[in-house]
Amino acid sequence: MLAAAVTYVPYPSWLNPGDNTWQITAATFVGLMSLPGLAVLYASIVPKKWAVNVLAMMFAGFSLVMIAWFVWGYKIGFGANSFGGGVKDGVQTQLGRGGWTQFIDNFAGKPGPVLSPQGEQGQAVSAANTIIPFHFPTASLAYFQLVFAAITPLLFLGSVLGRIKFLAWCLLVPLWSTFVYGVDAFLLWGGGYFAQEGSLDFSGGYVIHMSAGVSGFVAAWVLGPRLLRDRQHFLPNNLVMAAVGAGILWLGWNGFNGGDPYYAGSSAAGAVVNTNLATAAGLLTWVALDAWLSKEKKPAFLGAVNGMICGLVGITPCAGWVNGQGAIYVGVICCVIVWVAWNFLSKVPPFSKVDDALGVIYTHGIAGFFGGLLLGIFGDPNMLEYGCGHLDSAGQVVATTATQYATAKGTCVPFGVDGLAYTGSAHQLWEQFRAAIWVIFWSALVTFILMQLLKLVLRGVRYKDEILEVGDLAIHGEEMLPEDGFSTRIGAGVGAAGMSEASLGGGGREPDDPVPTGAGT
Amino acid sequence: MKLVVAVVKPFKLDDVKESLKALGVHGMTVSEVQGFGRQRGHTEVYRGAEYEVEFVPKVRLEIVVDDAQADEVTNAVVDAAGTGKIGDGKVWILPVEEVVRVRTGERGADAL
Repeated sequence: MLAAAVTYVPYPSWLNPGDNTWQITAATFVGLMSLPGLAVLYASIVPKKWAVNVLAMMFAGFSLVMIAWFVWGYKIGFGANSFGGGVKDGVQTQLGRGGWTQFIDNFAGKPGPVLSPQGEQGQAVSAANTIIPFHFPTASLAYFQLVFAAITPLLFLGSVLGRIKFLAWCLLVPLWSTFVYGVDAFLLWGGGYFAQEGSLDFSGGYVIHMSAGVSGFVAAWVLGPRLLRDRQHFLPNNLVMAAVGAGILWLGWNGFNGGDPYYAGSSAAGAVVNTNLATAAGLLTWVALDAWLSKEKKPAFLGAVNGMICGLVGITPCAGWVNGQGAIYVGVICCVIVWVAWNFLSKVPPFSKVDDALGVIYTHGIAGFFGGLLLGIFGDPNMLEYGCGHLDSAGQVVATTATQYATAKGTCVPFGVDGLAYTGSAHQLWEQFRAAIWVIFWSALVTFILMQLLKLVLRGVRYKDEILEVGDLAIHGEEMLPEDGFSTRIGAGVGAAGMSEASLGGGGREPDDPVPTGAGT
Repeated sequence: MKLVVAVVKPFKLDDVKESLKALGVHGMTVSEVQGFGRQRGHTEVYRGAEYEVEFVPKVRLEIVVDDAQADEVTNAVVDAAGTGKIGDGKVWILPVEEVVRVRTGERGADAL
């Protein structure tokens, strides 16, 4: 048979439109978790005087990571080549070598842009996946990873809000993203040292949530506390808007965990269901604990939101690797631990000494830490991220039966996680623990150094008390709910403020005529 | 003329308004206010942090009436707003020197 004539085609054979569609869709869901999800949630649980400041820092932070990621950051986390050459052209060359050399040679990718035609549209190549070729271009992978990179500093904005200088925040975010997030992402996800050792983090229990919790806590410590008056009057301004933000976070998480298998397959579907199971379990657990054991004995709504976040964060490192039952356990256990920490550990130093404004260390730091460990316990070897079968030369699946997929055939062993509860082996638990200790250490150390550096360069990273007393109006010249009746335009700007009614062609209007009533009876 | 000022429970506003309309009162000004008297405040809990709220939401009514109607109006407010429980509010009466209707310039009782 003759080959068909060459004509216009929408994509090359390595690209799978289903996988690519899901990756971009999942990425957009995750992006919505930041803007507006987290922005609205945080802006609505702070007092009125801080809402605009939170929104401004959220939108600026998202934009800063966006630029940094595509100009240099993506390749630090997911580039095909590491400093030292441990990862070369997307291949891990030092597997099993061990020791400090392997650690250092597989520490971080070489930075570089993803801006050229080939850079955006060529097939994604990264040691983030060494098993099956990626079925989508670098732009899909880089954008998917961008929205994760972007939400992480936005999460720990919750620790530092209410006193950090806007400029300090705008410098901290790209620096932190480069030196903390990029490194941890490469080590655990980009095919670096911990990935090679077998530490696992499905969607960011460590790289995102625990890191955000620890970094926020350290940054808050360097910054010092909010004003005493703010700490004593830190009431939310709108619980309905908090519900909007929280709801977007929850359902956006379908992309967060559902997108991380990189293929629109069974693992993605399982991860979505498990995410929701753990979240529902976490939410209900917090509500029950509040209703039965808190001093007030009331099922508080913001408590439900806390429980929801504990479930979401706890399941994040486990999502596709535990079964549904395991997911419920993870949600309940993480929530109980965080609830106890929130109510009791918070009274003990160092927690009682650091003003982590929204408590990010608890709902993200502690929940992420325990979620990652629970993977070592509840990881079910039969929850397959990859099964076995046949790929054609372009890397697309062909003629694979369900039996082949689920059972070992020849050299292929289906990939799942061997948790303690199913295999009796604590090996995975140990790998999880090692990676957790690293992420805590690195996040704390580098955040501390960056904050001290900014303190020096900016002559202080917090606003003066006179500015903090006023909040939004002093920093941004805006209020969350301005009252138009009490204000009159005095300066220039868009909207033709200074022009007369006649010169705008509106002279014949009588604006104060009474509105007719009772018409149309 | 008298100014009758009443601070009452918000959910009693409808009852008060209806009974005053039945008396022929033409208008009133209402505002949402916060206050406390002998009624205790309450606590609110946000994300585990307890806040004492001493001030309780109330509705403040201002009604200007003819001298002759002042007692009747006051009694109507008291009857309509009362639940017999602590926190029902207060009513007080002030003398009014002059009233002017902005649209017409009418003064005194004509302006009511």
